[in-house]
Amino acid sequence: MKRFSILLALLLLPLLVYGGEAAQTLIKTDLKQEPFADAKIIATLDASTAVEVIKRQGGWMQVKPATGAEGWVKMTTIKIGGPGAAAKGDTGMTSLWNVASQGRSGNTGVTVATGVRGLSPEDMKNAKPAPDEVKKLDNYAASKSQAESSASKAKLASQKVDYLAEAKSAGGKK
Amino acid sequence: MMTRFITALTILLLGMGTVQAFNLDINKLIDAGKSASDLKPVDEKGEAEIGNTAAAGILGAAPLVKDEKLQAYINQVGLWLALQTERPDLPWRFGVMDSDSVNAFAAPGGYVFITRGLLLRMHSEAELAGVLAHEISHVLKRHHLNAIQKNAQVGLVTNLMSAFSNDNGTLTGEAKKKLISVSSELYARGLDKDDEFEADKMGVVIAARAGYDPYGLPAVLQTLEAMNAQDSSLALMFKTHPTPQKRLELLDGLMTGTMDRYASQLLVADRFEKVVGTYARSGH
Repeated sequence: MKRFSILLALLLLPLLVYGGEAAQTLIKTDLKQEPFADAKIIATLDASTAVEVIKRQGGWMQVKPATGAEGWVKMTTIKIGGPGAAAKGDTGMTSLWNVASQGRSGNTGVTVATGVRGLSPEDMKNAKPAPDEVKKLDNYAASKSQAESSASKAKLASQKVDYLAEAKSAGGKK
Repeated sequence: MMTRFITALTILLLGMGTVQAFNLDINKLIDAGKSASDLKPVDEKGEAEIGNTAAAGILGAAPLVKDEKLQAYINQVGLWLALQTERPDLPWRFGVMDSDSVNAFAAPGGYVFITRGLLLRMHSEAELAGVLAHEISHVLKRHHLNAIQKNAQVGLVTNLMSAFSNDNGTLTGEAKKKLISVSSELYARGLDKDDEFEADKMGVVIAARAGYDPYGLPAVLQTLEAMNAQDSSLALMFKTHPTPQKRLELLDGLMTGTMDRYASQLLVADRFEKVVGTYARSGH
């Protein structure tokens, strides 16, 4: 039965991983019809308006306010996390992992402290070198043709883009 | 300049009796007068050996996730990004680390690591690409290599130079031990803030070159900003990097007007959800 409910929880989690993440506006913000600076303004949101994030494109977030239609706001005008509530940072695939590894949803508000494998500054300083782990990397390495074919499967095409001028001593693409 | 140096040295010598104090302070003096770029460059063989040692230290703190598909995926994405850079032919190696902490690392010679904790908080391959491209940039600019050389004592640097200047040279036990300690201290303390900002600026461009929406990295920074700064899984990241808010502000300013034209490039969210989601559902 426990297994079944875990399975059910997995199935019910939204497929769109940004779907439903709570956020709020940091400042008074124009809600635009499209993700462009000169797009039509459909509403103006006051500072600290609670919204749900639907998706992101470029520097814009598609959001839905509690009342009113959805639209786009500049990414930097919102903060992820509900108003007042301490942000738990359970974004992306975190709840999937939490359900599968601990048998409970990340949305229950229960923070599981046991079994967390940390990586503190002290851990870094006192680590015992693991050369065997480094050797394992060779088994996973991709060849140039594998990388190119994987990119082309996702329809990724390479192009020339210059480094941003302010990057110190950064040259152009070779 | 020289007179000043000698005067300073004399004052130090008079002020401090012990040889050890002298050793430490002459390094500081040399460092003060020299920028990292003045250091005699280590060749690629030396960079590979230093990187191998640094990588062993990082993976000593947390090993690789045992999931071949996930590791193969991150290597394909990572190498595709590296191919868009000025060092496409390094032996690039990417890995997901078995840790719930939120972080990513680079080591000289082409090593790039990301923790499960950070990977799972992402929403698309464009976000993953942004973080990997940031780490790739540290390798391109030899940030860790320069810092290790700068922090190492003169003796080690000389030893490294001579070890790598002849064909069959390897590090002596003592030099290797010293290298391990200098390197692990660097990863516990972090790079200079300017190196981090530079890697951010380069990372968004490399992601754009590879066909991704370049706002993936800013999106990750926004996710980090939303997390509780007291969260122990963030301790190392927050200690070793400028605040996400500061990084986001700088990127936002730089990208507006320059990177907007690439903003409608691909997120590749479907493939990311499939591969990383499958791993997440496995729960180990």
